[in-house]
Amino acid sequence: MSVLHVVFKVDGAEYALPAADVLQMESYTGATPVPGAPSHVAGLVQVRGRVIPVVDARARFGLPAIQRSLDSRVVVGQLGQRTVGLLVDSAREVLKLDPAQVKPPPPLVMEGARGFVKAVAQVGPRLVMLIDFPRVIGEETPDGDGQR
Amino acid sequence: MTGSVDLADFLPAYLAEAEELLGAAHRHLLAVEASVRRGLAHPRAVRELFRALHTIKGLSAMVDVEPIVSIAHWMETSLRLADRAGGRLPEASVEPLMEGLREIEGRVRQLAAGKQAAPVPAGLLERLEALETAASGTGPTKPASAALDLDAALSSRLSTAEREQLTAGAASGKRAVRLDFVPSAERAASGITINSVRERVAKLAETVKVLPLSGPAAGGSSLTFALLLLTDAGDDALLEAAGGPPGSVRSLASAPAAPAPARAPSEPELEAVASRVDDEPEEQRRGGGTLRVEVSRLDEAMERLAALVVNRSRLTRAVAALTAAGAPTRELTAILQENGRQLRDMRAAIIRLRMVKVADVLERLPLLVRGLRRSTGKQVRLELEVGDAELDKAVADRLLPALVHLVRNAVDHALESPEERLAAGKPEEGVVRLITHGAASGLLELCVIDDGRGVDARAVAARAGVPIPTTQDALLEVLCRPGFSTRDAADATSGRGMGMDIVRRITVDQLGGELRLETKPGAGTTFRLRVPLTITLLDALVFECAGLRYAVAVGSVEELIDVDPAKLVRPAGASGVVLVERRGSAVPVLSLERLLGREGPDGRNGAGVKALIVRQRGEPVAFAVDRLLGQQEIVLRTLEDPLVRVPGVAGATDLGDGQPTLVLDLAALGAARSGNSRRRESVPGRERAT
Repeated sequence: MSVLHVVFKVDGAEYALPAADVLQMESYTGATPVPGAPSHVAGLVQVRGRVIPVVDARARFGLPAIQRSLDSRVVVGQLGQRTVGLLVDSAREVLKLDPAQVKPPPPLVMEGARGFVKAVAQVGPRLVMLIDFPRVIGEETPDGDGQR
Repeated sequence: MTGSVDLADFLPAYLAEAEELLGAAHRHLLAVEASVRRGLAHPRAVRELFRALHTIKGLSAMVDVEPIVSIAHWMETSLRLADRAGGRLPEASVEPLMEGLREIEGRVRQLAAGKQAAPVPAGLLERLEALETAASGTGPTKPASAALDLDAALSSRLSTAEREQLTAGAASGKRAVRLDFVPSAERAASGITINSVRERVAKLAETVKVLPLSGPAAGGSSLTFALLLLTDAGDDALLEAAGGPPGSVRSLASAPAAPAPARAPSEPELEAVASRVDDEPEEQRRGGGTLRVEVSRLDEAMERLAALVVNRSRLTRAVAALTAAGAPTRELTAILQENGRQLRDMRAAIIRLRMVKVADVLERLPLLVRGLRRSTGKQVRLELEVGDAELDKAVADRLLPALVHLVRNAVDHALESPEERLAAGKPEEGVVRLITHGAASGLLELCVIDDGRGVDARAVAARAGVPIPTTQDALLEVLCRPGFSTRDAADATSGRGMGMDIVRRITVDQLGGELRLETKPGAGTTFRLRVPLTITLLDALVFECAGLRYAVAVGSVEELIDVDPAKLVRPAGASGVVLVERRGSAVPVLSLERLLGREGPDGRNGAGVKALIVRQRGEPVAFAVDRLLGQQEIVLRTLEDPLVRVPGVAGATDLGDGQPTLVLDLAALGAARSGNSRRRESVPGRERAT
């Protein structure tokens, strides 16, 4: 049973999220910063009348900030009761991934990626990393991950 | 499970109704208990309680909740006995009835949570049944020795209690008599009226009831007053009190007689109550055309209105742009103004829809105090002085847990034991008062006042391991530390997370209100809460700071001042806090830029042109802003996600540009981030303060 995934890019690397967890994609026109929020939170955006927080994937992955372009996207994901956006460099593809294509990441990656990558899928010559969405977004509590 | 679909449809209505009836039942049972305690009958409360239980039973049978039907049935049975006894209840009956109500309530909760109602707890029905036998065994004051000799017309107008009073009086040796007074114009002219007769009779006899009887009377009159009396006085004295003939005196008791007549007539009475409930349920309980609406529907209406308000802001800006471009917009502007008025009226109407009476919200508190009275062994009286103040349902729902905490604390911690109170020269019974005042600008003030021992600042400080607080605000600060408790051993009550931190979190963080403390050692403590009447729609000041727009609730801002940078005073060593003079006192000016973490590279030190003055723990504090953009109505969207739930940010709003604008709670922002950096941790995850 292959599963539909949304593929997005951060700093040249490709990541994927099950399409079932994704509500929609929005282009990014800036977020309202929230004082005192964790540093990886870009701020608030309004999506169809709802106000949701946006996590900056670059900041979260420890990558340098770049100038946002027309390609920048907010991947709006559903996490239980929460709706949270993930700001990525671009997102323009959906892929069907067969479980057979998906393997656990090499131990070295596991350690280096702070658990953000939970599997790697081989798609032809490309390597697409499946992210652990709850982990990337942050813990249930604002203080849980010691970021503040 | 053929009924399950229907049940699901009917359940919300059932739950709402059951909830309401339980509230009423609790109220009446407490009234009954209060009477029992003083050895009095309370026939009306017994009857109302019966009525509520009867309806609960009927509704529960409809949705097929057998356990509730059984409990309600047995409670009814014991109440029927009490009613026959003239609304008198043996003291021992109150507790099983309370227990029964609690069990019914528990089962209603289970149904509300989508569970099955648990079976009837072991022994409860037996205890309720035992009441019946106990009551009929010992019996009410037995009127066996005397029966009343009343004609039917009179008899039907007497209540069971009145009838009992007469027979009991007769049994104890008094004379039960009927004294007829016939009023007339001549008698009135000489000062003999029913009122003067009443007064004179009162000196001779105990008046049980005065019944006006119309119809031909002695002396050609068409009205007679029948006074039913218990007396030791002779007929002549009584007759004279009634102005003499054509009045008359008749004895009512014809002893000895069969015991039956006194009780039999009361039998149909409760049945009549019951059938009345069935016949006219709607008018009875929804009198005045009241409608019950699910809160979610009100929320929906509010959402729609919110969209309209946002749209109006956009329209306003579009028109402003047109005007600036030189277009003829006079009529548009007029329409826009009218539209604004209509939206304001609409908003007021919707807010009114969402308002609930504070008194209704607090109806559980007497029950809470009753439970505490039992568990602590303290004597407590709860006085509610809430008038007809109203609150938004959303605010009320959040506020109730805070008030429960405060009342519980007052009984549990603040009030002394009866012995201690007597030793301190106070009345044995402690008093907890809850008072509300409507304050200006959409705020409600609630005070929880006790006459207990007061907060011992020294003990609090010792317990928290901090220096003794010198002001009441500082003391409150220590009390509100997470997990702080003044009790040494966690007992049944204080073990349930008694923290004042919860009270503060609800009042200050969730509702954007204010919490104050006044305490006097030995004399008692007052907690003063100020909360907004509604938190969804509010008037806000919009301003700009460090290139971004923000909003604050108008109600929270005490004053707007101009700041002349040349007149700012910088005290040495105050780490950048500057002072401004306002009407003879120095007010600290905080840099909002810095508080928001948006300090510009030029380091202007927050000396904005304008400043908003806000009370932070009672002290005025000025927040410098760059530019005021005006006042407008906003729809507050609370931020639920833990990533962005931070102190100082009350929520977000849309000013019409599609970009969220932060709504700040300046007092909380200053408190959370200023010099004394007390980190107020946010509520973890989905935890709800209870």
